[in-house]
Amino acid sequence: MNITALVFYVFATLAIGSALLLVSMRNIARSLFLFFIVLFSVAGLYVFALADFVAITQILVYVGGVLILMLFAFMLSNKELLNDLQIGTSHFFALPAWQSLVIAVSFLAILVYTSLQLGADEPGWIAASREAGTVLTPTDQTIQHIGVQIMTRYLLPFEIVSVLLMMALIGAAHLTRKEATS
Amino acid sequence: MVFYITYIVVGIALFGFIAGFTLFAVYSERKIAGFVQDRLGPMETGKHGTLQTLADILKLIQKEFITPAAADKILFVAAPVIIFVAVFLGFAVMPWAPGLAPSALNLGLFYVIAIISVDAIGLLMAGWGSNNKFSLLGSMRAVAQIVSYEIPSGLALISAVMITQTLHMQEIVINQGIASQNTLLFLGLWDVSNIGGLLAWNVFQAPHLWVAYLIFFIASLAECNRAPFDIPEAESELVGGFHTEYGGLRFAFVFLAEYAMMFLVAMIGVVVFLGGWNTPLPNMGSVRLADWTTGWIWGIFWTLSKTLLIVGVQMWIRWTLPRLRADQLMALCWKVLTPLAFLCMAISGVWRVWVMG
Repeated sequence: MNITALVFYVFATLAIGSALLLVSMRNIARSLFLFFIVLFSVAGLYVFALADFVAITQILVYVGGVLILMLFAFMLSNKELLNDLQIGTSHFFALPAWQSLVIAVSFLAILVYTSLQLGADEPGWIAASREAGTVLTPTDQTIQHIGVQIMTRYLLPFEIVSVLLMMALIGAAHLTRKEATS
Repeated sequence: MVFYITYIVVGIALFGFIAGFTLFAVYSERKIAGFVQDRLGPMETGKHGTLQTLADILKLIQKEFITPAAADKILFVAAPVIIFVAVFLGFAVMPWAPGLAPSALNLGLFYVIAIISVDAIGLLMAGWGSNNKFSLLGSMRAVAQIVSYEIPSGLALISAVMITQTLHMQEIVINQGIASQNTLLFLGLWDVSNIGGLLAWNVFQAPHLWVAYLIFFIASLAECNRAPFDIPEAESELVGGFHTEYGGLRFAFVFLAEYAMMFLVAMIGVVVFLGGWNTPLPNMGSVRLADWTTGWIWGIFWTLSKTLLIVGVQMWIRWTLPRLRADQLMALCWKVLTPLAFLCMAISGVWRVWVMG
């Protein structure tokens, strides 16, 4: 086994292992920090898929933004509420969690279905593009493709997302504003 | 297999450099503080106190590991490591000389911005893990500050990237000197591709980048929690901020990370705005100063001297300006720096399309 494969399996084990530990842990603070490890190792796996831009964006947005927000929300929330959450049902398959069970089972079904579809070898479209020479190599400049694609093919989704973010920003600014004393 | 050994050697060399720099920087910081406050600074250990930081680090290494009884043991121990590693990883893409960078990543600048933000997680971990009010308050202040100041600093860097059109750190530097394949225009008017030197730096290619650099410099001070933005470590209010409970080698790691961060942000500023390893001396007629002073060893020399100069300015500011209040800090970020950075970005777009065309 070469070192690249070894690193891949280390990242994969880290991601799955800490994700399992995360959901079974009672201590919320620790599980949030475990979430950091999960996000980081998933970013490592993106690098193996030659999606280095996605990997870095994952770290910037999720680790540097979303996770910190979650930690802040946790640290600012009511201690009684957190205790209730921590003491709650301790069964792995508790009845109130049937919605999550449905989601988990359907995800598993999709995964199994896809892997059966792919078969043992690579799917046809990968082989086709390998023959046509339209594949990325590790030294390619992916960011130029992304920029061009966003500004042409995906312009409408990009604009919709930016309007949505703008609305969220304005809403947040409005909520934090002090009401004029009437 | 040989190149795996090279990776490890490069990592160790960088760590050695950071450790050496920290020893030197702590000494010079204390001497500069002494000079600013009209006193002598360390004088006892060695000639003019030169061995003072070596003695300090020896003391820190010998100290016992003390973990508070009520602390979250795992988080408490892991935090200094994460804080340091986040900054250390940032050094992976920094260019030192022509062709000399630990990793020539296409997305170098983006990577550095992202990896520095991991630092905030380490700070929160330290603050929460210590189980101490001062630590928690300090780390929450630090993180609020880092997250807010990432916006103006990121926008300032984007306005420079719009001029250079690349995120590859090495290419950003190449486009600011005589090695460039493109035509470089001083202030958008005068072709200086063969003259190079100071005139080809990004800040002189597009003068509004001076404003961008100033924004980046101020924001980088806030991201390293340095005075005048050191409310997370405000000694008079919070004892030591997030590192109140740390001692011995763990404290040394927190400190190492702080000084490494100072060097890293100074180096990012130098690479993106001030020419990186390019010489400041221009070619003048037959006196080919720029040609003579470009090369492998000169590159390291220029990078180091420019970066150390910026680090010196950071120290000078720390001992000159008073600390900002928390609301002043946020007002400066959101009401002054962010709109100015957006303005710089808009000017960059106009400059790129109409002036550099």
